[in-house]
Amino acid sequence: MAFNYDYYLRTDKMPTLWCWGCGDGIIMKAMIRAFAKLGWDKNDICIVSGIGCSGRFSSYIDANTVHTTHGRTVAYATGIKLANPDKHVIVVAGDGDGLAIGGNHTIHGCRRNIDLNFVLINNFIYGLTNSQVSPTTPKGAWSVTTQYGNIDPTFDPADLAIGAGATFVARESVAEAQKLERIFIKGFQHKGFSFFDIHSNCHVNFGRKNKLAKAKQLMDWIEDRLIPKAKWDKLTPEEQYELKKQGKFPRGILYQKEEPEYCEEYYKLIERVRGK
Amino acid sequence: MALNVDFKLKAPANTPVWVDEALCKSCELCVEFCPTGVLEMVPDPHNILGQMVKVAHPEWCIGCKECEIECPDFCIFVAERDEYNFKKLNEVKKLKGEA
Repeated sequence: MAFNYDYYLRTDKMPTLWCWGCGDGIIMKAMIRAFAKLGWDKNDICIVSGIGCSGRFSSYIDANTVHTTHGRTVAYATGIKLANPDKHVIVVAGDGDGLAIGGNHTIHGCRRNIDLNFVLINNFIYGLTNSQVSPTTPKGAWSVTTQYGNIDPTFDPADLAIGAGATFVARESVAEAQKLERIFIKGFQHKGFSFFDIHSNCHVNFGRKNKLAKAKQLMDWIEDRLIPKAKWDKLTPEEQYELKKQGKFPRGILYQKEEPEYCEEYYKLIERVRGK
Repeated sequence: MALNVDFKLKAPANTPVWVDEALCKSCELCVEFCPTGVLEMVPDPHNILGQMVKVAHPEWCIGCKECEIECPDFCIFVAERDEYNFKKLNEVKKLKGEA
């Protein structure tokens, strides 16, 4: 008997609206397997998604779902988590959604260290709206708004999350779905803000004009850009800086720390004030 | 619905890999990820991309489930170890005449 995804899926909405070979489906499957391994009931899960292809997560996963406005996923999720501190809140956002338009919500979610799981689907482009440049578009890449090559420096979301105060930061690519599932399991169990930077493929809107038109071809390109954490740690800070300038990033669990969680602190405060 | 799911997920007799062609978008990811070349694409005029995945060499399957976990559309399934007697990688290499 093959693994049954249908318990966590709205099967009447299948097949998905995503393009053929889209990494979003692989991430969704890894996420569902992580839910199943953790034994979470679908009534205890809340999926919050924004606008973009990643916004379809809230349509396909059969849990409590909110499809919110562009970039405000973390703001909605903070409210949901504070009202229901015993539930598991998963935020799914794309790179344009979570870093450009919703960048300030993301950093303040990280700063508060609230127990959210922020899954950033990083496909280097605004895919749904047909290839506009996003904060993570590599240097020199074609997009509709950078027709002669992108000149913006590359952006590292994981460094932003660590700097802002997230207590679990991991990076993985869709080409390694087993590892993806493993970091999801570890991150979902972590108490505090878990930030996942998942490098995904958009071979239709990003790849086609950048000579990476096939799904596997773009996945190989993504794999070339990622360096294992153990290997990365052996490099000197100067070498790491140079590699990041070239668009190479470490993969794996990059940062993990135990810090006071926001909901606990908040409910402690309520008790303290009421007890007076 | 439950009956339908069981029907879809239960391995047919003597089959290592099977495909739900109604959900398949023929993205070729399973073909590219398969380490032993069990799957291949065949022309299919009824599909939107003009091709469809076919289990061409079921006898080469080693049961690694790489195709199942990398399929974005929930449409390819691999049997469990107790449902099908999978070959080892070196046996497959011998079958293919590589080793």
